[in-house]
Amino acid sequence: MTAIAPRRHPTMKLYVVVWIGLILIVGLEVLLTYERLPAGTLLACLLALALVEAALAVMYFMHLKYERPALFWSLIPYLLFALVLMDHFWPDALRLMRQRLHGP
Amino acid sequence: MSEAATAQAGTLTEGSPYGIPSRKLAIWLFIIADAATFGAILFAYGYLRLANPDWTKPFAFSPTIVNGIVMTVVLLTSSLTMVAALAAAQSGRTSTGIRWLGVTMLLGTVFATLHLREWFAMIAAGWRLFRNPMGGSPLFGATFFGITGLHLLHVVCGVIVIGVIALEFRRGRFGAGHVETTALYWHFVDLVWMFVFPLVYLMNVR
Repeated sequence: MTAIAPRRHPTMKLYVVVWIGLILIVGLEVLLTYERLPAGTLLACLLALALVEAALAVMYFMHLKYERPALFWSLIPYLLFALVLMDHFWPDALRLMRQRLHGP
Repeated sequence: MSEAATAQAGTLTEGSPYGIPSRKLAIWLFIIADAATFGAILFAYGYLRLANPDWTKPFAFSPTIVNGIVMTVVLLTSSLTMVAALAAAQSGRTSTGIRWLGVTMLLGTVFATLHLREWFAMIAAGWRLFRNPMGGSPLFGATFFGITGLHLLHVVCGVIVIGVIALEFRRGRFGAGHVETTALYWHFVDLVWMFVFPLVYLMNVR
């Protein structure tokens, strides 16, 4: 059986830099909120910033950047695919509600 | 087991293709499944929010958004203390690791307390799962309490699990691997909040 080799992890200094970056993104989100953008535009901007935050957290705090690439490719694309499918099927669910057949 | 049998078992057992222990792979699979769950409810909320132009926007900058910012900073800081705990555990500094786990639990408890304080204030103002005191869509209460409640449940479970892991780590029954698995779960809870705060709070400011 092959031994599981110890992996290198980021330094505490890098963790603090990532933490500061995450705090700054939260500040940016709050600033954007009070720019009074249309709801759809605001949602898209907030989602994009939240995705950047999530990527930083997954890659550095959760160490996915420092694992074998196989782990990333086995997990993340399938999750994204499932989320894209949800995005595709939710509007369809609303259409089906409107098409519901009524009883006699 | 005889030497021959041991050698045969050795040739039949392969290492992890990901180079990680099975418990770590298991928590990653749990995280992916849980992410899909949160993804489903956040997508549903997003469609409801955009499909209702007269959606209720009850949140003022003070106290709700200020409270939300404080909660976010507390949770992000708890992720930082968790990586400090893991680094200490992996380098064999048990007492330092336990101290950082304690700080993480404290921050998680502060987050939950702030959250519950906000819930109680909203309930006192007449908000319920299916009642909107401002006269708008009753779905606001359902989505708000549903999404934040599920996240709060994760936070409370996380605090309890960290406590159990810290206790067993101190006794020497659990190792750094267990701390790492718990840390992955805790970071995921933090990650989910990065979506809940902007979508549920910031999208609903007055």
